[in-house]
Amino acid sequence: MTEARLVEELLAFIAAGEADEEAFNRMALAVFAHQFETNAPYRRFATQRARTLRTVKSWRDVPAVPISAFKDLTLSGRPPEECPHVFMTSGTTKGVRGKSHHPTLAVYDRSMTVNFRRRFMGEHDRLRMGILFPTEQAMPNSSLAHYLALAKSEFGTAESRYFVSDAGLDVDGATAELSRAEATGEPYALLGASFSVVHLMDALAERGRSFALPAGSRILDTGGFKGQSREMAAEEFYDRLSATFGVPRRLCINMYGMTELSTQFYDDGNEACPSVKSGPHWIRSRVINPLTGQEVPRGSVGVLVHHDLAHFNCASAILTEDAGVEVDGGFQLLGRADGADAKGCSMAVEDFLKAARAT
Amino acid sequence: MERAGHLPGLSADAVDWRTLTFRRGAETLDVAVPVLGEAQIAELAERVRANARTFLRNRTVAEIAATIDRAVARLLDRDDPWRRKAERLLPLVTGYDAEMVRLGLTGYLKTFRGPELRKFIAEDFANPAVLDDFQPMPKGGFARAFGPELLLHVWAGNVPGLPLWSLISGLLVKAGTVGKLPSAEPLFAGWFAQILAEIDPQLADCIAIVWWKGGDEAAERAWLGRADTVVAYGGNDALEAIRARVPITTGFLPYGHKISFGMVARSALDAGKAGAVARQAAYDVARYDQQGCYSPQTFFVERGGRVSPREFAGYLAHELDALGSKFPRRPLSMGEAGSVASWRNAEETKGFADPSRALLGDPAGSWAVAYTDAADGLSPCGLNRTVTVVAVDRLAEAVPGLAPYRAFLQTVGIAAAPEELFALAGALGAVGVTRLCALGRMTAPEAGWHHDGRFNLLDLVTMTEIEGSAERAADAFAPYTD
Repeated sequence: MTEARLVEELLAFIAAGEADEEAFNRMALAVFAHQFETNAPYRRFATQRARTLRTVKSWRDVPAVPISAFKDLTLSGRPPEECPHVFMTSGTTKGVRGKSHHPTLAVYDRSMTVNFRRRFMGEHDRLRMGILFPTEQAMPNSSLAHYLALAKSEFGTAESRYFVSDAGLDVDGATAELSRAEATGEPYALLGASFSVVHLMDALAERGRSFALPAGSRILDTGGFKGQSREMAAEEFYDRLSATFGVPRRLCINMYGMTELSTQFYDDGNEACPSVKSGPHWIRSRVINPLTGQEVPRGSVGVLVHHDLAHFNCASAILTEDAGVEVDGGFQLLGRADGADAKGCSMAVEDFLKAARAT
Repeated sequence: MERAGHLPGLSADAVDWRTLTFRRGAETLDVAVPVLGEAQIAELAERVRANARTFLRNRTVAEIAATIDRAVARLLDRDDPWRRKAERLLPLVTGYDAEMVRLGLTGYLKTFRGPELRKFIAEDFANPAVLDDFQPMPKGGFARAFGPELLLHVWAGNVPGLPLWSLISGLLVKAGTVGKLPSAEPLFAGWFAQILAEIDPQLADCIAIVWWKGGDEAAERAWLGRADTVVAYGGNDALEAIRARVPITTGFLPYGHKISFGMVARSALDAGKAGAVARQAAYDVARYDQQGCYSPQTFFVERGGRVSPREFAGYLAHELDALGSKFPRRPLSMGEAGSVASWRNAEETKGFADPSRALLGDPAGSWAVAYTDAADGLSPCGLNRTVTVVAVDRLAEAVPGLAPYRAFLQTVGIAAAPEELFALAGALGAVGVTRLCALGRMTAPEAGWHHDGRFNLLDLVTMTEIEGSAERAADAFAPYTD
C-alpha cells in the first residue's frame, strides 16, 4: 500500500467514529505491513523478535518499540530528509533526543482535532484561550508546541494568545486576561505545560491574586513537571488549580501525550486522582510486565504499551517507561517505571549520568 | 507485628508508632517503627549522651569489643532465637532469597568476632590503648583519642545488617549512638541493640535506634542539631539535603552511592580456570542482586586468552542462570523491573547498529549479560543481575576512561597474575578506586576494610594532646620540686 493510500485510509478510519476489534486489527496490520516494508531498522527490530508479516496476526503481536530506541534508531518509513516535520523529545539526561519524523501532519492534525474537540471543548466550538507554552515558531521541533498551536488556531477565538515568550512568563498579561474573563463572564480556557501552570500559580500567589473564572471555563495541563518547577502531588496541584482560577477540578483536564505518538489521551477531569485516561478508537493500550513482555492480569501494575495507528510513519506500537494500571474506561498513570525506588547503595543509571554530567 | 527500634528510657506506650508493611508472596509482615516528637527526641538525645559519658567513657575498648563479640556470637548461633528470627524475617522484609540471606549473614557477622574487631581497631590505631588513656607520642607529649559524645547514623538501603558497620565503629570509639533505621530494612539494627541489652544493659543504654520518614524535615533537624558527628548513607541528593541541615560545627561523614566493576586478565582465561572465574564473577553479581556499592556492574575482560571475552560472557551467562535457580532473584518492584527492561532494551537497540554486540538473557528477564567489542567505558547496568562484559586488548587501557568517575568508584574484583595485579592497582588507585579484591569476594569486604578508602574509626575521633611543654611545666609545680 502506498503511503498516500495509507494516509487516506487512516483519515477514513478516524472519521468512522468507532472501531471494533476486527476493524482495529485490520488497520493495525496494514500499518504494521507499511512500517515493516518501508522502515529497515524497524524491520530488523521486528525480525529479531520473530515478528514478521507472516507471524503477526493481531495488533497485539505487533512488536512494541521501546521509546529509548527513538534515540538510537531512525524510525521513519520515509527517508528523514523527505520529512518536513520532525518532533523531538525534550533534552534527556543522556543528551540524545528521540525523534519522530512526519512526512505529513495530515493524520496527526486530524487525530488531534477530532479528539480535542470531544475531550476538551465540551459544548463550545471556540473558546478564548491562554497558552502557557512557547509558540510553534519558537520551538519548531516540539510536538506540544504544535499541539497547542493547533488548539489555538482550530478552537481558540481570535483574541486567544500566548503568555510565554523569550522574555519568560507574562504574568501581567495573564493577570489582565484572567481579570477580563472574570469581568465579562465569557468562559476561558487556560492550556499549557504543567510546570508553567505551577509557575503562574506561584507568581499569582506572590501577588495574592486568585480568580473565579466564569462557568464553563476549563484548564488543560500536560507533561508533568520535568524538573522545571517543583514537584507537586496531583491532589495538591488540582486543589491549587481550582482555588487559583475558580475552575472546578472536573474541568481541570490532564492530557497525556508523547513525542513518540500522534494521538493524545485525556481524562474527564481530576475530581479524583489518579484520574482515568483514555484515548480515541484509533489508539489502544496494553499493560505489560516489561521484563517478559506479557500482559499483566487486569488491575495489576505494569508498564504501558500504546498502539497508535495515527503514528504511521514511525512505529505505531511503542513501549513506554510509564507505569500504569488498567481500569474501567481506560488506565491510570502511576508515574515513571525507572528505578527511582532503587533500594541499595549501588549507583543507578540516572544517578550516574547526573553525577558524571556534574563533574 | 514486629516492633522496630530501641529507645532506652522511653516506654513504648508513650511513643507513636507507624506501621510499615512488607509483603513477599502470600506472607505479610507489619513492622511498627517509632515516630518521636521533638520533646522525646531531645530527651532521648540527652539520655544517650549522658549514659555514654557515664557508662562508656570509662570502659576499655577491649571490654566494649568483648560485649560486641558476645552479641555477634549469638547472631551466629543458628539455634539462638534472635538468629532464628533474623533468618525468618529478613528475607520477608528485603525480598532476598532466604538461603542467600542466611549465608550472607554468617559471612558478614564473622567479620565482627573478637579477633576481627581487634584487627579492625589495629587497622586505624597503631596503639589501641590510645582510645582508653593518654599514651606517649613519638614526637613527645601524650595523646588520647576521643569519640564523639553523640554520634548520629543515618542509614539507608536494604542489604541486611549493613548498619552494623558504622554502629560498631561508633561503639569502639565510645560514642553515644543514635541510628536512624532504613525504611527498606528497619529491623536488624534494633535487634542488635536489644541483644546488647540482654548481655550488657548499660552499654545498650548508650544506644538509641530510631526512625523518621525520609525527608521529615522537623525530625531530621531535631536530630542533626543534637549530634556531634553525623554519618550518613544514601544517594547524593539525599546526602546533600542532609548536609544542608547539619550545623557547621558538626562533623559530617557522607557515604554516597558507588559503582564497582570487575577485571579479568588473559592469564585467568585459560580453559581450566575461566569457568571458576566466571562462577565467582556471577556470584558477585547475584549476591544481594547488585544492590551494594561493592556490586559489579561491568566486567572488563582481556583479549588474547584461550577463552575469548565473548566466550567469557557466555560462561558468565551460564553461571548467572545456574545461580538463578539456586538463589532466585527477589521480586522486583515495577520501577526496578522497568530499569532492567530499559537497560536491556537499550542494549538490544545498540546491537542493531553494531552487530558485534550481543545480549544474553533468559526470556523471563531474571538476568542478562550484554557483551561489547567496542571500546565502551564503565557504564552502570540495569542492576538486579544485569551486567556488561567489555572486551579490551589490555586491562590497563580501560583505566584512563574511568577518571571522570573518580568520586564514584569503589571496588574492583580482579582476576590477574601478581605482577598485573600490582601494576593495575597503582593505576586504579590513582583514578579513585579504593578497594581491590578477588572475584567472588566483592560483596564481602574483609574485617577492617577502609570503607570508601576512609578510616572507619579514625574519622570519628579527635585527638587530645598533652604537649611536652605542659608536661615539663607541670614539673615546676610538683610538690617534689626543688
